[in-house]
Amino acid sequence: MTLASFTTPSGFLLPSIHSAPPFFTQQPNPNTQSIVTENWTRLILTYARYRRLFFIKLEDAETKGGDWDEVLRNERINRQLFPSHLSHILSQMVERNQAVYEPQKQTRSVLLYWRLPEEWAEVLHEWVTTTGQLNSILTFYEIIEPPIESVLSGIPMTLLRKAISILGRTGRAQIISVADGEGVRFFAGTGK
Amino acid sequence: MHRLGGVGMAAFDRHQQAQRSFAELSSEISQTQIDYVDSQLSQFRTALYRFATTHRKKIRDDPNFRHAFQQMCSSIGVDPLAGPRKGGWWAELVGLGDWQYELGVQIVDICVSTRERNGGLIELSELIRLVSKLRGVESGVITQDDVIRSIKTLEPLGAGYQVIDMGGGRKMENGSRVSEDLIVQKKGWSVERSRAALENMLLRDGLCWLDEQDEGSGTAYWVPSAMQWDI
Repeated sequence: MTLASFTTPSGFLLPSIHSAPPFFTQQPNPNTQSIVTENWTRLILTYARYRRLFFIKLEDAETKGGDWDEVLRNERINRQLFPSHLSHILSQMVERNQAVYEPQKQTRSVLLYWRLPEEWAEVLHEWVTTTGQLNSILTFYEIIEPPIESVLSGIPMTLLRKAISILGRTGRAQIISVADGEGVRFFAGTGK
Repeated sequence: MHRLGGVGMAAFDRHQQAQRSFAELSSEISQTQIDYVDSQLSQFRTALYRFATTHRKKIRDDPNFRHAFQQMCSSIGVDPLAGPRKGGWWAELVGLGDWQYELGVQIVDICVSTRERNGGLIELSELIRLVSKLRGVESGVITQDDVIRSIKTLEPLGAGYQVIDMGGGRKMENGSRVSEDLIVQKKGWSVERSRAALENMLLRDGLCWLDEQDEGSGTAYWVPSAMQWDI
């Protein structure tokens, strides 16, 4: 039995473990399951990063046709990840700060940290600096949906807020009330 | 009647004398033999030395030649890795010691890095495939014999690496999937015994992974150590 990697239609390279039938079953042996969980976690995060997906939901494992089909299913060996197994994996990811339940107080949907909020903060500051927008006021909308697509395009509001508040702690950002809601002003600084 | 050796005290004396002479003769012969063997041995040693130095490169590079050489060594009771000096004069001569230890280190490397997914059991052919990949050599350059030998050199370290004979162990060759019915069918075991064996492998030893989406049996067991992993 040879397990080979596989390139999906979206161009993502699935690791060879994805073609191992038992990879899709929750393992009764805790040591084995921790290997399985670790591999799923890595796969979910790299795929999310590749396709810029910020959320994964149990629904994605329940029904076909979502963004996650290529990963949560392997039609070539007729296997799929069941919602209960995905739920277990997500809980482990939340425990290790690789994701957070979003919205809070439920466990069916998570916001994935393929970049940690601290890393997003740096990415954000870098973007503001290189696009020459330091010291001017930006609305959240301008960051999430900039006229020219950026590394931050489509970032969820909650994640953006976290990143801004991290920059705020080192005096590199300040939230300001503007006419139609909130805006933010960024300042130079190393963050040290 | 005349008897050889006669009778009486004289015969006793004569007997003793004869024994003494025999003993002398015998030790003389032994000495000659020892000398002979000694000289043979030193000749052999010189010849072997010359052989090893001349063919050093070939021994290291050519698996068939290396195998034949090691066969020859073991059939005459010479361990290529043993010797009075550090690493063995023999090992130094051929440089086989380093080669073997190096291979040993790479084997440990692979065993450690695959332990999680195979539960610490790896098929020899898979190990050879991975070692070859790690060294960047064609398949066939490193032989089963080399690997087994290297694993033996690791023994004194007490790291617990050993070659297990799976008893006609090629049974996993056709695939790494096992199921209760398959064992019952192929081995004639009872369902209970098959189940117990598989459950032990699964739960206690972590040697196999469960697959609950199997088309045939509903539940199948996979032995990751018998799978080939590309990445």
